[in-house]
Amino acid sequence: MLEIKNVHAGYGKLKILRGINLSVPKGKIIALLGGNGTGKSTLLKTISGLLPLMEGSIEFDGQILDKKKPHEIVKAGLVQVTQSKESYPAMTVEENLMVGSYVRNDRHGVQQDLEKIYEFFPILKTRRKTLSGTLSGGEVQMLVIGRGLMANPKMLMLDEPSAALAPKVVLEIFSNIYKISQTGVTILIVEQNVRMALLLAEYGYIIRDGVIMLEGKSDNLIHDSSVRESFLGGTVADTSRELSA
Amino acid sequence: MEFDFNSLFAFIIFGVTIGVVYGMVALGISLIYSGLDIVHFAHGEIYMFGAFFGLVLAKDMSIPYPAALIGAMILAGLMGMLIERVFYRRLTRSGGGYTVAGMGMIICGFGMSVALMNVAFLIWGADAEPFSIDLGMPLQIADIYIPQSYLLTAVVSFALMGLLHFFLKYTKIGLAVRAVAQNKDIAYLMGINVPVFISLIFGLACALAAAAGVLIGPMQSVQVEMGYLMLMKAFAAAVVGGFGSLPGALLGGILVGIFENLGAAYISPSHKDIYAFLLLILVLMIRPSGLFGIEAKVKA
Ligand SMILES: Nc1ncnc2c1ncn2[C@@H]1O[C@H](COP(=O)(O)OP(=O)(O)O)[C@@H](O)[C@H]1O
Ligand SMILES: [Mg+2]
Repeated sequence: MLEIKNVHAGYGKLKILRGINLSVPKGKIIALLGGNGTGKSTLLKTISGLLPLMEGSIEFDGQILDKKKPHEIVKAGLVQVTQSKESYPAMTVEENLMVGSYVRNDRHGVQQDLEKIYEFFPILKTRRKTLSGTLSGGEVQMLVIGRGLMANPKMLMLDEPSAALAPKVVLEIFSNIYKISQTGVTILIVEQNVRMALLLAEYGYIIRDGVIMLEGKSDNLIHDSSVRESFLGGTVADTSRELSA
Repeated sequence: MEFDFNSLFAFIIFGVTIGVVYGMVALGISLIYSGLDIVHFAHGEIYMFGAFFGLVLAKDMSIPYPAALIGAMILAGLMGMLIERVFYRRLTRSGGGYTVAGMGMIICGFGMSVALMNVAFLIWGADAEPFSIDLGMPLQIADIYIPQSYLLTAVVSFALMGLLHFFLKYTKIGLAVRAVAQNKDIAYLMGINVPVFISLIFGLACALAAAAGVLIGPMQSVQVEMGYLMLMKAFAAAVVGGFGSLPGALLGGILVGIFENLGAAYISPSHKDIYAFLLLILVLMIRPSGLFGIEAKVKA
């Protein structure tokens, strides 16, 4: 569904990504993992057309995205939920969701999807008339995922949906991401929470300093020694679990 | 002087009337501020051009006044979109998105103001042109006579604002306008063609200024230098109401209008134009974010 070939990109003259290759098959959940500042968000911005491509090519659903503008990429069915967790604080929850449906003209479908999102995230329904600026961090994350879904995308890119959220909320959001994928939406999830992401995804890519350092099936990555060392080994939880084992 | 409730009432009505016109220009300045992250210093000149467009359409071309009003709004709207596309876009774009505007934008706004004034001077000359339209006898309420032009101004202004409110609140395009005004990057990622909407916002703001010009025209006269004072008053209105807040702009305009009319009536008529700034200073001392100001990040 999404094919990224030898992508070089960055900010102005500053090159961050140096030859990224990545592929997301239709209907799957794929994870892009890496520490802070390794270029994950830069890659998503490039895919979404917010940053220009210096080299390489991006193909989505049979279309070449290389020169396309952000709004055209959304129309093609590829939607990004950014890591900044930004809602429109001065709009109500429902207005936020309606902004997501801007590219669509099927009123009936929009109404149905609104109901569907309220089923995924019941808290949004109870707060539909409140200004989104008053929501908690977890609720905003649900709202921005819901807003992305309102565009009826073929594929959703989620940038660190677990960042800065309580573990219980993370669990709820991840189980909803799984449910969303079950409805046929292809998903690329970007995470620093490697353990959670690999539980969800089938296949993962590890990025470091703008290059893909490692890729493979989630099972293999979880047991890979270099992954354990860089991401999994250091956590207190992991250490205590290993001690008790 | 004996205190007379009738004349107090009249002063307030005149204040509200002129105030909604300030509010309309202030609303445009607020819209542009939300949409483009710039304070548009040439907005007074757009108002002046609007007044001249109305004058040309109504007097020289003998088009009925209501049609001249709409025509002037459309012309000024298109002119604004052209100015945004040709002159401002480069500047608003540089520095990462539309967010960092900086000093260049301020200088550009002032430059545009002077340039537009000179263009108007070349076309229409420096003389004040009367813009008389015959609206019939003044209306009498109790013992007060209100000229029809005031009534017309109040009605048209409130109607335009109501329309704008409806548009922003209840239509899909209006929702997208608000989305662009609040957060351009996210709006882009929701599939909204942001540059087109920036133009639309600018055009809308200029059309409102033109409406103000055509409405004020018959009360005063139309003149190349009329923009400066209006900019200052509208600016005061926008700040009093809370910069970037749309209802605030309208209410700020009305407050400025009432305040200066009462000041002129009861303190000293020769200092009419300073009362707006007196109010501005007062409000800033008590509530620096303006009466209806919300946090700087939350716009529109
Ligand atoms: N707007 C920007 N301008 C210049 N450099 C940036 C900008 N945004 C991010 N960077 C740099 O690009 C690198 C990758 O950042 P990013 O893709 O955001 O990392 P992450 O993997 O945490 O999402 C970092 O070194 C960061 O400093
Ligand atoms: Mg990031």
